[in-house]
Amino acid sequence: MAEMAEGRKTRVAEPEAPVMVRMECVSKKFGSLRALDQVSFSLRKGEVLGFLGPNGAGKTTAMRILSGYFPPTEGRVWIGGDELFKNSEQAKKRIGYVPEALNFYGDMRVSEFLDFVAQIKSVPSKIRHAHIEEKIERCGLPEVGHRLIGQLSRGFRQRLGLAQALIGDPDVLLLDEPTGGLDPKQIKEIRHLIRELGRERTLILSTHILPEVSMVCDKVMIFNQGRVVATGTADELESGLRRERYEIFVVMGDRHRKDDALAIFHALPGVDGVTVLEEQGDRVSFSLFAPRGTELRPVISKLFVEQNIPLLEIRASKLSLEQIFLKIVLDEQMAQQEP
Amino acid sequence: MIKSIVLARKDVSSNFYSWLGILIFSVFFLAAGILFALVVVKYVGISMEAARNGYQNVEGLIMTHFIFGSLFADLGLVVLCLVPLVSMRAFSEERKQQTMELLFTYPLSDFDIVVGKFLSLIWFFALLIFPTLGYLYLFQWLGGSFEWGPVLAGYLGLLLLGAAFLSLGLFISSLTANQVISALLTFGLLVLLWSLEGLMGLANDPWARWLQQISPLTHFREFTFGIVDLGHVAYFVFFCLYFLFMSLRVIEARNWKG
Ligand SMILES: Nc1ncnc2c1ncn2[C@@H]1O[C@H](COP(=O)(O)OP(=O)(O)O)[C@@H](O)[C@H]1O
Ligand SMILES: [Mg+2]
Repeated sequence: MAEMAEGRKTRVAEPEAPVMVRMECVSKKFGSLRALDQVSFSLRKGEVLGFLGPNGAGKTTAMRILSGYFPPTEGRVWIGGDELFKNSEQAKKRIGYVPEALNFYGDMRVSEFLDFVAQIKSVPSKIRHAHIEEKIERCGLPEVGHRLIGQLSRGFRQRLGLAQALIGDPDVLLLDEPTGGLDPKQIKEIRHLIRELGRERTLILSTHILPEVSMVCDKVMIFNQGRVVATGTADELESGLRRERYEIFVVMGDRHRKDDALAIFHALPGVDGVTVLEEQGDRVSFSLFAPRGTELRPVISKLFVEQNIPLLEIRASKLSLEQIFLKIVLDEQMAQQEP
Repeated sequence: MIKSIVLARKDVSSNFYSWLGILIFSVFFLAAGILFALVVVKYVGISMEAARNGYQNVEGLIMTHFIFGSLFADLGLVVLCLVPLVSMRAFSEERKQQTMELLFTYPLSDFDIVVGKFLSLIWFFALLIFPTLGYLYLFQWLGGSFEWGPVLAGYLGLLLLGAAFLSLGLFISSLTANQVISALLTFGLLVLLWSLEGLMGLANDPWARWLQQISPLTHFREFTFGIVDLGHVAYFVFFCLYFLFMSLRVIEARNWKG
C-alpha cells in the first residue's frame, strides 16, 4: 500500500503539450478474429498510459501496431507528426519498444548488440560509445556487458530490452508486460526504473496486473476482447467501477443517420463511452455505457422510432466492467500461483 | 545502405561464431584444395607429355582453358551444394529466434533489411571463395604457368553464380522458420535449375532451348572458359534482382506469427 501511495502520480500533462501518439479507429484482424476493434486514443508528450486487460485482450497487438511491427487492418497511427505506416522510418526514430517476448540475438554479447542497435538507430559514431555506456549504466547492466545474451536471466533480458529501447533517446517508449515473468524483487526494481523513465518521456505500458497501472500510469485504457471498454485516470476508473455501469449495444440500419443516432445517445442522462463499433454497408453498430439500475433500452427505441431511424437490434451486454476487472484480477492470481 | 552494411556485418560475424559457418568455410576450402591438387596433377601430366613430344613450353591461354575450365565447373557444383547451407539461416534464423519483431520496429526500411541480408550472404560467400586464390599463387610459385585474365573471369562467374543461388536461397528462407526445410527446398530448386541445361541434348525444339536459357549453368559455362559476356552477366543480375524483389514482397507482407 505504501508503495502505491508513493508511486501514484497526480501529474497530468499540460493541455498545450504536443500530441505524441495518436491512434484513429484502429482495427486488426487475424483471419476472422478481431484482435483489435476500432481503438482510438491520443497521448500528449510526457503522459504515461497503461493498457490493462486480461490475457488475449489485444494489448500486445496494439503495442505491435504502435511499434510499427505490423500495420493495422484499418485505421491510422501517428507518432509525433509522422504517420507511422506512411513515413515509417521517420516515425520509428521516435519509438523505443520492448517486446513482451524479449527475444534478442542469443549469440551476441550485450555491448556488441547495443552497439549494433546504436548503429541501426544512427547514433553518431563520435558519441556512440558514451551513449551506450550511459544506457548500460542506467539499466543496471554493467556486470553483464560482456556476457552472451543467450545466457542472460529473464531479469537481465528485461533490462537489456529497456536499454536497447532507450538507445537513440526516443520520445516514446512502449513496454509490453514489462514485469512479466520476473520475481518480486526484480519487479520492484523494474517498476522503479519505469517510473523514472516515465518522468521524462511519453510512455505506454501494458499489463494484466491491476495495481501496476495505478502505480505507474496517468491514464488507463481497459481492453477486453479487442475493444477499449473504459478509459480514464486510475482514480476515475475506480470510482466508475463503484458506481457500476453496464454496456448497451445498438445496431441501426441507415448509415446516413449515424450522427442523429449519436446525438440521441449523447443526450441520454448518465451515458458515456459512446463508440461506433462497426459500419458494414448500411448497418452501423454502437456501444455505450449506462449506469446500472436505469433501463435505457425502451427510451432509446422510442427516440429512434420518433426520429424515424431504422433500429435493427438493441441489447445489454452480459459483461460489465466489473466482471472484466474480476477477470483481470483472476488472471493475476493465476499468474502469481505459477512459480 | 549504411544500415544494410551494419545488418550484414552482424550476420557475417555471427556466421563465423557458429560451428556451421566454420564447417562450411573449412569444407569449401578443402574441397577447392583437392580440386586444385587434381589440376596440378593434370598440368604436370600434360607438360611431361608435351616435353616428350618435343614441344617446349605448352602454356598460356590454351593450358588455362584446358585445366581451369573443368576446375571452375567443378567448383560450381560445390557451390551448388553449399549455398543452401549458407542461405538457410538468413531469414529462417531470425524467424526461429523471433528477432524479426525488433528488427521491424527499428528505423529500417524493408528494402534495407532485404539488401542487408543479401549483402551478408554475398559477403560470407566472397570470404569462402577468395582464400582459394592462395592455391593459385602456390601453383604459380611451384612453377606452373597460366594466364590470370581467364582465371579471374572464372572467379567472376563463380561469384555471380553464387550470388544468384544465394538470392534464391534468401527468398526460400523468408518463407519458413525451419532451416532444414529452407536448405532442402533451395537445394532441390537449384538442382532442378542446374539440370535444365542438359535439355539441349534431349530435344531441339524451341521450348527446350528456352528452358535451357533459364539454367544458370548455361550462362556460367562461358565464364569457366575465361569469357566474360555481358549478356551472361545481365542474366545473373536479373536473376538476383528477381529473387530480391520476391523476398521483399514476402517481408512486406509480414504474414508470419510471433
Ligand atoms: N499473429 C497472430 N495470429 C493470429 N492470432 C493472433 C496473433 N497474435 C495475436 N492473436 C490473437 O489476438 C488476440 C489478442 O492477442 P494479444 O494482443 O496477444 O493479447 P494480450 O497481449 O492482451 O494478451 C488473441 O486472441 C490472440 O490469440
Ligand atoms: Mg500480451
